Amino acid sequence: MTKLDQFESVFKSADKAVYTYDRPTFDRVLLVTDLNEADAADIAIRIRSFLTTIDQPGTQWENLSGDAFGSVRGLLESIEERKPDLIVTYRHLHSEAWRWPHSLGEYLDVMTQATSVPVLVLPHPDADRALPHSIKDTDRVMAITNHLTGDNRLVDMAVTFTEPGGTCWLTHVESQAVFERYIDAVSKIPAIDTDVAREALAEQLLKEPRDFIAACRAEIDAQGLSIKIEEVVVMGRQLDEYGELIAKREIDLLVLHTKDDDQLAMHGAAYALAVELRGIPLLML
Amino acid sequence: MPHVSTTVTAIFAILLVAMILSLALEEKIHAKKSVIVGLFAAVALFLAAAFGLVRPETVEILGHPVTLPVYIPGIDWEVIAIILGSSLFVDVTSKCGLFTWIAIKLTKASRGDPLKLLVYYGVMTVVFSAVLNNVTAMIIVGALSGVSLAKLRRTNQLLGFLLIEALLTNVGGLLTLISSVPNIIIGNAAGITFVTFFIKASPYVVVATAVTIYMGARLFGIEALKDDAAKAEAQSLVAGFDENDGIESAGFFRFGTAMTGLFIIAMASASVTPYVKDLGMGYVALTFAVIMLTRYKATADRFYQAIDWDLLAFFGCLFIVVNMMEHALVLELIGEGLKPIIGLGETVGVGVLLVASAVASSVTDNIPLAAMLAKILGGLGLASDSPFWWAVIFGANLGGNITPIGSASTLVAVTIIHKHKLPLSFAGFVKAAFPFAVLQLAMAAGYVLVVL
Repeated sequence: MTKLDQFESVFKSADKAVYTYDRPTFDRVLLVTDLNEADAADIAIRIRSFLTTIDQPGTQWENLSGDAFGSVRGLLESIEERKPDLIVTYRHLHSEAWRWPHSLGEYLDVMTQATSVPVLVLPHPDADRALPHSIKDTDRVMAITNHLTGDNRLVDMAVTFTEPGGTCWLTHVESQAVFERYIDAVSKIPAIDTDVAREALAEQLLKEPRDFIAACRAEIDAQGLSIKIEEVVVMGRQLDEYGELIAKREIDLLVLHTKDDDQLAMHGAAYALAVELRGIPLLML
Repeated sequence: MPHVSTTVTAIFAILLVAMILSLALEEKIHAKKSVIVGLFAAVALFLAAAFGLVRPETVEILGHPVTLPVYIPGIDWEVIAIILGSSLFVDVTSKCGLFTWIAIKLTKASRGDPLKLLVYYGVMTVVFSAVLNNVTAMIIVGALSGVSLAKLRRTNQLLGFLLIEALLTNVGGLLTLISSVPNIIIGNAAGITFVTFFIKASPYVVVATAVTIYMGARLFGIEALKDDAAKAEAQSLVAGFDENDGIESAGFFRFGTAMTGLFIIAMASASVTPYVKDLGMGYVALTFAVIMLTRYKATADRFYQAIDWDLLAFFGCLFIVVNMMEHALVLELIGEGLKPIIGLGETVGVGVLLVASAVASSVTDNIPLAAMLAKILGGLGLASDSPFWWAVIFGANLGGNITPIGSASTLVAVTIIHKHKLPLSFAGFVKAAFPFAVLQLAMAAGYVLVVL
């Protein structure tokens, strides 16, 4: 390693992502259900009491009940027409597939990818899978990603949905499998010391999100928001780690990205999480 | 002293010219300096022995008779000790994060304004070149320039920054006696103390730095930000730099900072400090290096591996070659050639010697030049305050700014420039650097003639 490379590495490491809190506004919230209007209105009341953090005096709440759309195209057109800032819905609209926990249903699947609007996914009202603490409050919110550093939007959303006095967990789970694959390649290169590479690479991969979380914490404190920022930065199998983290902490709301610039389908880990984590609401960006 | 025939002197002179040419073509022949000069040293020693110019001598050292191989007394061990100790000290001290801390602090202090950044980086280059060495200074400031300008989305100005910084390394190399190898060699030969050197050289360095930065900003179109939105954006971009990121331990940081200050003081006062003055600056440098190494006592060997052994072997072999040239009367021959220049007096003679040294340094290594001229001027019995010494010091340092191969730091700058895929040929460098070099040399000539 040359000295030039050494100093470049030092300066690059010192160049950290800056976080500035930019509170998103939710002027129009659209509740999409497959229920009749009366049942949808009942759910809307429950949702408003659940989402107090975004319910401002000027916020417009609108219901799109089951008979208002009969196809994916119709739903997308209705969304386009109403231009909501947030969609609230659940899995398997107009379907009985909620009985089998293996998919999201065609409406939700398309909605998350075809619109840029954040989608809050609730446990299905008939499925009876909601955890006891679910849809009551949002004092325990968790943002999850495998690349937290610089993801201001994810943090903004998670912080905004966290009730004052609540806790917001910012988590970053680095894939152990991917890491091991690279280390396996490194172990076959004589010029690189495998042990040194393993230690240094793991340290650096986890240092960046930790630094970013520290920057987020400092900004939230500076803004005077009474929200506690907790850090979870680990290396492991993403699905297992998230499942364990959520169960341990009785999380009220999980915030995650679903879009992947490289593919039309939902982000790989997000899809698996959205399918499996049916007991609590998910905010899918 | 054995009789030396003209033929023998001519053979050695050809050998010297061949070595200088080989060093000038170092990049082309893909050989390290130490290997090139090592081969010439081996040949020179063999020829000197064959022609009966040298033989082992038994000398008495501290009451003990010691028979030394002929190549030992020719090496200036004080110079080797200073270079070894200083580079080891700087290498270990840089681990404390002090230099990167200063660099990042200055970046943030500039608030991302390109002109302020150029001024801060320029001054930092000069100071780092003076305190560390010009290669390390170029590496630190060049690496930071690449990272910070990319962050500020101003990579179009990177070439200008790197060129100005490269030119300033050789200006900063004039600041103290230990800032560059020619300074150490000439200063040692002339008997110039650290403090005297600093007092005499610093006014020029200050003015040359200001002029180089001003001229660079004008020529490369580096201007201050004017509108508030651009200022705010630039400030937010550099705000993400964390100066404490490279500091592994606050205690070691404080220790390294204190030791750097003490090192400069100890070097500056080495010629007057009781006992230390008998041991020399090489002792000071090595002692400070050992003290710093205590922080890494279990892994000190990593730093030994990082020592520039090519440079040290190059010096050792070079001193041997120069010593053999002295025995073969080649230096006397060059000295005779220099006499008309020196005979021109302390005005024209000094000016001609300065320019000649600069031109010679621009195409080949300035260290052999300094080593040879130190011997030759020393042989003429010049006083330590003679302007001829300063003519060589200024010429040998500033000559490195004329071409990219003129000094190690300009070569490093070109490496960084090419690493960033910026187009710059040999001729392109000369074209860009020539106005700066001419101005710096003209100012140096005026300064040596009028002030020194």
